[in-house]
Amino acid sequence: MTVSTSAVDGQRTLSFSEVGPAERGKRPDEVVIAISPAFGSLFSQTIVDIPHAEVIRQMLAGIEEQEVSARIIRVQHSADLALMAHTAAKLSGSGIGIGILARGTAMIHQRDLPRLSSLELFPQCPLLTLETYRSIGSNAAQYAKGESPEPVPTLNDQMARPRWQAKAALLHLKETELVRKGAKTVEVTPQFSAAAV
Amino acid sequence: MFQTVVGVDIGNSTTEASLATIGPDGSVEYVGAALTRTTGIKGTVKNVDGVAKSVMWALEGAGMALADLDLILLNEATPVISGLAMETITETIITESTMIGHDPRTPGGRGLGVGTIVDFESLAESDTQTPIIVLVPRGTDFDVTATAINDAVESGVDVTGAILCNDDAVLVANRLNVKIPIIDEVSRIDLVPVGMVAAVEVAGPGQSIRTLSNAYGLATIFGLDPDQTKVVSPVARALTGNRSAVVVRTPSGDVEDRTIPAGSLELLGETKKARVDVSRGAAEIMAEVQRVSPLVDVMGEAGTNTGGMIANVRQSMADLSKHALADVRIGDLLAIDTAVPQEVRGGMAGEVALENAVALAAMVRTKESGMKAVAEAVATHLRAAGATKVDVAVGGVEAEMAVLGALTTPGTDKPLVVLDLGGGSTDAAVIETDGGTKATHLAGAGDLVTKLIDAELGLDNLELAEEIKRCPLGKAESFFHIRLENGTVQFFEKPLPPTAFARVVALGETGMNPIPTRHSLDRIRTVRRTAKERVFVVNALRALRSIAPGGDLRQIGFVVLLGGCALDFEIPELIADAVAPFGIVCGTGNVRGTEGPRNAVASGLVASYAASHVPSEPQVGAHA
Repeated sequence: MTVSTSAVDGQRTLSFSEVGPAERGKRPDEVVIAISPAFGSLFSQTIVDIPHAEVIRQMLAGIEEQEVSARIIRVQHSADLALMAHTAAKLSGSGIGIGILARGTAMIHQRDLPRLSSLELFPQCPLLTLETYRSIGSNAAQYAKGESPEPVPTLNDQMARPRWQAKAALLHLKETELVRKGAKTVEVTPQFSAAAV
Repeated sequence: MFQTVVGVDIGNSTTEASLATIGPDGSVEYVGAALTRTTGIKGTVKNVDGVAKSVMWALEGAGMALADLDLILLNEATPVISGLAMETITETIITESTMIGHDPRTPGGRGLGVGTIVDFESLAESDTQTPIIVLVPRGTDFDVTATAINDAVESGVDVTGAILCNDDAVLVANRLNVKIPIIDEVSRIDLVPVGMVAAVEVAGPGQSIRTLSNAYGLATIFGLDPDQTKVVSPVARALTGNRSAVVVRTPSGDVEDRTIPAGSLELLGETKKARVDVSRGAAEIMAEVQRVSPLVDVMGEAGTNTGGMIANVRQSMADLSKHALADVRIGDLLAIDTAVPQEVRGGMAGEVALENAVALAAMVRTKESGMKAVAEAVATHLRAAGATKVDVAVGGVEAEMAVLGALTTPGTDKPLVVLDLGGGSTDAAVIETDGGTKATHLAGAGDLVTKLIDAELGLDNLELAEEIKRCPLGKAESFFHIRLENGTVQFFEKPLPPTAFARVVALGETGMNPIPTRHSLDRIRTVRRTAKERVFVVNALRALRSIAPGGDLRQIGFVVLLGGCALDFEIPELIADAVAPFGIVCGTGNVRGTEGPRNAVASGLVASYAASHVPSEPQVGAHA
């Protein structure tokens, strides 16, 4: 369950409820988002303290603004971003999926691509903002519609690696502790609460 | 005695060699050909390296040694160079913020809403009597916006539309209890005047707005009199084809569709003179050019865009040819109408309007080239390399040699016209039944097409434009198939690169190049084809008219296309279509039946030499 870590009053919190095993979608107008084992459960914010609730909300908003539908699945047997995103893409009716780790690293994938490739990769999680997450959702939805969006502009910081590597490693360690071998991927629905205005 | 002769054509970009042995009876046997990059600028001593390389390759290919070589023939280069310029002649200016005419990708809701513009903060306290349109500033969350509008509607406020700064229109529309038209992505929302009456219209997917793009629709909404309707009619026109728009009624607001005073061109012909305003467009400029031809020089009106444009062309050509600025005379001019996307001044949402522009290609006659010097340098260089008995001569004028070379194309006969479609200029030469030749050089060719594609698609990338010009297009519909521009599908065994996914790609020889724009395949194709038509078809007809016997195109039997652009996948067919009504046989040349549109000048040099130096039966294509 989500523990509110809000520093700001009235921050949204997020929890996911399982609705069953993840199945392959039939709608050609959907994007599937794969979240990692610790996303919105053990952790509730990214490496730079952006709440997961806002990350998911912006991603869903980006998809909705393009009039495309979205589903969320939780991968439980791995915390490998490429595998997660590729799983999402393979389960997506449009063939487009997004993968996101608890620390914020994200990727847009397509089911026909080799697993270790991607359509767009956002490797430097400390530099990702809520606008980026909105654009990731928006771009994924546009790919699903067969459009050709401009790749999401991202920052590149040479210092990000030395500065954040230790924290990223710790977060990844914690995340992989939650990996359960052989556990099935499940479909989840998000619940936002306390959306105070 | 057999002579070993090489004809060498030094072009702007390639140097071509044609190796032949000439028998004592004047029979020519071509034994080799070679093609290499031109070194240095055409007509300068730097060409020697390229010439030497092409000669040695040709010899090597035929299994001969340098010592066997008797004679090298160089072409007298076409004495023209060309330059390009482009200038917009109209601009759209929105004064006093009367309209937001931009087309956000995803507007929300449907329909037409008319009301007074109200700030987001004062939405709750709004008067319940008058209809309002709410203005939502940047950074307002979509949930907040939707809740506030729903609350206001519940308390009796008549909200008829919304203007957002964020890209939130669909999100807000999905959360509202009433359906209202919503426009988003209005980046400079702080410029929208509060308290004024405005109209917001959003059309369904695939539709365009009906009311705001109609002058009488605007008159009905705002209660305008006939004079005011006249004033707003440019607004209606500017909004045509949009899926969504906002029009704000301000006391003195206006959209101007202004014609920039572009200045005029003074065309000096041999006997006639003309002055033509550039803003009147390409058709009139070209009509005047035709009327005063042959052109001797062109002046631009000082202190205007046109003046600057002509001065630039002149300066760049003076630099290139090392002539004094005063000696540079423009011998031909090609004007082309084009439309360039430009951001609207005074717009509030980064609106872009297509502005009219004129592209000019100018050609300058240069003084005689330095081929004599090149010939001497080549002789020295090759003698040092082991060609002990070699002689180097300037064999003939390029255009005439091209005709002779082209005549070796199977299936051709006199009278024959050669169209050499190059990068900078379109050159034409005719050989009549009696063997007399005539040549003309026109401004505008491949480089101008590239520039038009670049400008019209707003690419700002000449390399990409060149790629679009040269290659057919496709759209990567999945990782395993692309739809080609003729509608067929090509499948692949291996997945395409991720960068190509869902994009329009140029199918080059080396692979696919994704075109990173939002333009559809059809739009890019149309721009590419019309650019080629406006340059090459227009120039082909111009050239044919100026050299056809008596100016009558029906007197021409055969047209052979040569030069780099003759290898293009659609230019030959465009020209062939255009000249077909005159009963002309037109096609890409196949010099000596083997070389395609290449090597015409080099082969012509050899043929001309063989015919003129051996007083026996002339060979095919040696009627000089």
